[in-house]
Amino acid sequence: MPPKLVVQGLSHHYPDEYTGEDVHALDNVSLDVDEGVFAAVVGPSGCGKTTLLNILAGLLPYSVGHVKVDGIDVTGPGPDRGVVFQEHAILPWRTVARNIGHGLEIQGMASEERKKKVQEFVELVNLTGFEDRYPHELSGGMKQRVALARTLCADPVIMLMDEPFAAVDAQTRITLQEELNRITMATKKTTLLITHNVDEAAFLGDKCFVFTRRPGKLKATILIDIPRDRRVWKDLLHDPQFIEKRDEILTLVREEVSPHGDD
Amino acid sequence: MATTSPSVERPRVVRSARWRRFTKGGGVELLIMVLGILAFWSFLSSVIPNPSRYLPAPLTVLFSSSDMLWKGLLPNYLGQTLFRLVLGSVLGLAIGIPFGILLGLNRTVSDIFYPILNFFQSISGIAILPIIVVWWGNSEKTVFTVILYTAMFPITFNVLAGVRSIPRIYVNMLRSLGASRLQVVRDVILPGAMPYIATGARLGIAFAWRAVIAGEMLVGKRGLGWMIFTAQDTDHTDEVILGMVMIGVIWILIDRFALRPIEADTIQRWGLVQR
Repeated sequence: MPPKLVVQGLSHHYPDEYTGEDVHALDNVSLDVDEGVFAAVVGPSGCGKTTLLNILAGLLPYSVGHVKVDGIDVTGPGPDRGVVFQEHAILPWRTVARNIGHGLEIQGMASEERKKKVQEFVELVNLTGFEDRYPHELSGGMKQRVALARTLCADPVIMLMDEPFAAVDAQTRITLQEELNRITMATKKTTLLITHNVDEAAFLGDKCFVFTRRPGKLKATILIDIPRDRRVWKDLLHDPQFIEKRDEILTLVREEVSPHGDD
Repeated sequence: MATTSPSVERPRVVRSARWRRFTKGGGVELLIMVLGILAFWSFLSSVIPNPSRYLPAPLTVLFSSSDMLWKGLLPNYLGQTLFRLVLGSVLGLAIGIPFGILLGLNRTVSDIFYPILNFFQSISGIAILPIIVVWWGNSEKTVFTVILYTAMFPITFNVLAGVRSIPRIYVNMLRSLGASRLQVVRDVILPGAMPYIATGARLGIAFAWRAVIAGEMLVGKRGLGWMIFTAQDTDHTDEVILGMVMIGVIWILIDRFALRPIEADTIQRWGLVQR
């Protein structure tokens, strides 16, 4: 089986919004993600992670290198790549159910069929009973579940996630990480997660891509061979295999963090 | 004190809830204000010489209104004025909303049109009226043009600001779901700009309301503005005041029963504004 996502020799420059200086964001990045694999891209802030995600999502045009999803060149945004954004981006004027079914609505699925499918995903993300609520009535964690369900409901080839839990509190984050693990396991969805959180990458990832600081290069690929159904924080915190992998990634990332803090 | 049975108590609870709602909504303060103004007005009318020419008392105005109601003139004028307002506002919305969206979505279009719009915005409806009269004479077309012209600017500018206020991430999200440009406008731009559209509509219709009255005073026949103007001409000060009071009262009714419910039904339910 060919990989679902292939990135080959991808480089990217852009002029800084304020100074106009040339920013070298990505340098000759090559990586691939097989079907059903949960991949995590981890690196220090400003390593071009978000640039990479925007290119994969088709929101940022690229000129050097190749990006293929399911063997097809990425030339713009499309429903084959579902994106979960950092600030959930669920629409305040739509109820939970109508947000979740939005992708299907755009695809033109008939209302009866859509309702059935939406209900399935409402249950999957544990939002039963909240179908007719508006986003302003939900907590941050619930909003992010809506965003997750909306992406999965549209059934993309690959799900791209940009720091999805950066804006929620620590307790909620842990719960959401476990739920994301359960849900991607249940749906077998190929996923690429962008994060600066080493624990999160090691907890969720089957395959972790560690990036250098800018210009972002792929520094190492760490495979984490822990069965998905064993990934529960309570157990993994004491799991020697997990600790070893996590520390390996942590060391690689810390080498990249500038001694003066964020750059 | 004797204890009250539940059957007596119940209506009392209902009455007190209604009373609380009335007092909480500032009903008492409003009532005192209105009565105070009426009392002051009556007092002024009773001390000045020749009140029927300078300031007829509230009761005199009330009598003249029943007189005009009786003759069927008031409903006729009111209907004419409201018809002009509604048609002019609907046209203003029909042009202003799409135009505002176009300006908001496309930098090039807004760079070209914004200065021109800004220029014309400064020329009020009354100031363009003479040239319109030169073109189209004392016709309904002239009145409508002035109303439409007046309503259009606040609507267009507010919709433009509304479109620009929409987080870019909503548009990106929808495009990632595979939406076409038209679907983005329908599902994100229009509802996202809704609070601004509502504000623009309210302002636009308020401006249009003033323009109708002013326009009717100078051109056209019948209508509230025309009534006030001819009443002044024929020394019917009570009708002049009646017309003014009607203008204010009608506006409050339009705002309370037409414009605010639209706002409550959409953007408040979505949590985009809190009252």
